[in-house]
Amino acid sequence: MSVHVRVRVAAEAYAVAVEHVLEVVDIGDVTAVPGSRPELLGVRDLRGQILPVVDLALLLGIASTAPPGRLLVAEAHGRQAAFAVDEVNGVGDLAEPAEETESGLLAGAALGDGDLVGVIDMPRVFDALDQVPVP
Amino acid sequence: MSESAVDLPALFRDETTQRLDQMDTALLAVEAGEAGAETVDSLFRNAHTIKGAAGMLGFDDVRAVAHAAEDILSGVREAQVFPPALAGPLLVATAALRAQVTGDGPAVDDVLGELAASRAALLDGDVRPPGAVAAEPSPPEAAEPVQAVPPATGSPPADVPPPAGTRRELRVPAEKIDHLLDVVGEIMQHRRRLTHSLGPERELAPGVAEVLGAGQRMLDDLKGTAVDMRTLPLAAMTGPLPRAVRDFARAAGKDVEFVITGADTELDRVILESLPEPLTHLLRNAVVHGIECPAGRERAGKPGRGRVELRAVPRGPLVEIVVADDGQGVTAEVIEAARREGSLADLLGQPGYSTAPEVSDLAGRGVGLDAVAAYVRSLGGSLDVSSEPGHGMAVTLLLPLALALVEVLLFERGGAVYGVPLPAVEEVVTVTRTLVLQGRPALELRGRSVPVADFAALIGTAAPPLGDRSPALVITVGGRRAAVTCDALLGQEEVVVKPLGPLFGGVDGYLGATILGDGRVALLVEPGILTRGSRQVAATARPMPMPPAPDRAVAARKVLVVEDSFSVRELQRSILETAGYLVVTARDGRDAIETLGQDTGIALVITDLEMPELDGLQLTRTIRADAAWSSLPVIIVTSQGSEEDRRRGIEAGADAYMAKRSFDQQALLLNVERLIGR
Repeated sequence: MSVHVRVRVAAEAYAVAVEHVLEVVDIGDVTAVPGSRPELLGVRDLRGQILPVVDLALLLGIASTAPPGRLLVAEAHGRQAAFAVDEVNGVGDLAEPAEETESGLLAGAALGDGDLVGVIDMPRVFDALDQVPVP
Repeated sequence: MSESAVDLPALFRDETTQRLDQMDTALLAVEAGEAGAETVDSLFRNAHTIKGAAGMLGFDDVRAVAHAAEDILSGVREAQVFPPALAGPLLVATAALRAQVTGDGPAVDDVLGELAASRAALLDGDVRPPGAVAAEPSPPEAAEPVQAVPPATGSPPADVPPPAGTRRELRVPAEKIDHLLDVVGEIMQHRRRLTHSLGPERELAPGVAEVLGAGQRMLDDLKGTAVDMRTLPLAAMTGPLPRAVRDFARAAGKDVEFVITGADTELDRVILESLPEPLTHLLRNAVVHGIECPAGRERAGKPGRGRVELRAVPRGPLVEIVVADDGQGVTAEVIEAARREGSLADLLGQPGYSTAPEVSDLAGRGVGLDAVAAYVRSLGGSLDVSSEPGHGMAVTLLLPLALALVEVLLFERGGAVYGVPLPAVEEVVTVTRTLVLQGRPALELRGRSVPVADFAALIGTAAPPLGDRSPALVITVGGRRAAVTCDALLGQEEVVVKPLGPLFGGVDGYLGATILGDGRVALLVEPGILTRGSRQVAATARPMPMPPAPDRAVAARKVLVVEDSFSVRELQRSILETAGYLVVTARDGRDAIETLGQDTGIALVITDLEMPELDGLQLTRTIRADAAWSSLPVIIVTSQGSEEDRRRGIEAGADAYMAKRSFDQQALLLNVERLIGR
């Protein structure tokens, strides 16, 4: 059991280990950066800092059902990015991710509150963002 | 050695002044009877390091005084007692050293006499015991000279202030200044937000407007000071260039005079730090491909000695950096091709231009120019190349003076706000009629045609069609002009440039972003992409790929220089780098062990002997004792040149042992080459 932030992305349930989460903010004004790759929705001002905004649904390869409403600001490898999610469902203990998943971005999945919850591996997500080829 | 040591004296002066400050503090503590064993060690180390660096740089008087002070301190170390009365003569020594390094010190003979006498007295046990002095505290200038001192020393009192007119300088980590500038920028944003929410100025109560005006003036002053702190003269990076040019010339069999003008031109520190690579590259091109061999020059009626100039000229908010030569220039055919292409910069700056077979004989002039062009663009500047066949060539980098704060023109397109640096905007016009030739639209502007394009199309974003009479910015970059249409102009503003961050590293065309008064983010557009006609997306984020110099075709060997003196470290670095080695540095033995642990590519270690933490002998033994490094060659370079020291160094496992006194760069390079080749 360890503490995770539970989020909903394109109607699916995901969780991020709390040590990688800096804060949760409203989606606000995201400025698109023409020419960047599709996983990047753009940039946003967060108290004077420019943060990249990542389309988490697209990165996970799932189809979004509604425009994202919240941003989960996360950190790994000393870098920060905001991840667009539908909503944030709170913070709490989550069982060890015992279920296997195919995605390299997940540490696995856990059963909780009637959902199969994908546990996002933030360091690997940042690694993947580095490697996605530029169109 | 003077060729490579262009700004080393300044470096040495700064470092030594710092060390003298530390010594003075320690000596005052000694005088007050508050010194511990570590005080003696730090005093000894500082004196020793000053001696070593001065010896290498040929400052013999400084070396002699530092040596005398070190002698006394080593006596103190052995005796394990530091008579407070000794602080006086040592303070005389530090004052004399200070006068010497700041330039116009008197002869040091008197000081040396006094120090020798003090040392003799110390050896005789003839200085007062610590207790005696502590019992009758006296101000430093009254500290009684020890018996053996000759009565008329003529040397200044121990605590003379630095010579009048000497500026007090403070070393501040660069990040602190960056942070200051960041905060200033945020205050400016905050202020914009405030004025934005207060509404138009004419509707404000007079008192409010006045207070706002006063605040603005103070903020402008603060901003100016903060920006100033981030600038440094070009001279701060030109030190190694004369030596590099000389080496390029020698390798290519050319005779070249190298001149730097405008070295005091101030530049943003960030730009300055990134300049050596492109500049070295341009200088190499000028020497190797521009300047003809002496015989060829004489045949062409020119003096046998070629001339290469590096020139910096401030141009308002920009600074012009020119690398010019009086060599052969490009051929008439290249000039003709450039005319078709747009400009010489466009032609030579094309990626891979130099590899095109039809221009192979002059391809050198284009070598890596695409990388230089990309570098200049990434800073929001532009590149210009001019050449006259037979009469040389000039490459001009037009760079912004300050990177952090930029005056931009803000405009709107498709609901988003963008900014473009004001110096690139020639004028703003309203589009009333467009001309079309071969499907390409243009504007008529005072009898000339200027190509025009929709901003949205240029940067590749979707936007509703433009209305009638939309505004257009006329942009000029490197001699190219283009008009760019948008929905509306929002006015000019000085903004803080924030980087977009590594995730956007591969996206060409942006200088960064800024946060507007209403909290929205405006993208700052590199003017170059507006005149090039279409967005060019780089395949990957690339960090200035420079082709290797031919004389360094073999993979460069990496050398670790371990040395606690900054001046000596930089001297050795410049010698080795000029010879084509890669250099990493460490400040002491412990730092060196850490570096060796992280960097497996190191082929050789050059170390000082006397260092804080882990000294050179311990470092050498540690290296020899570790299975992974046991065969790593080690050269000891030290000011302790005695046979006994040499024997200890060799016993510890050093492959070579060189005294700083006899130090010459040829000998060092020979030793390095003998051990690892080149």
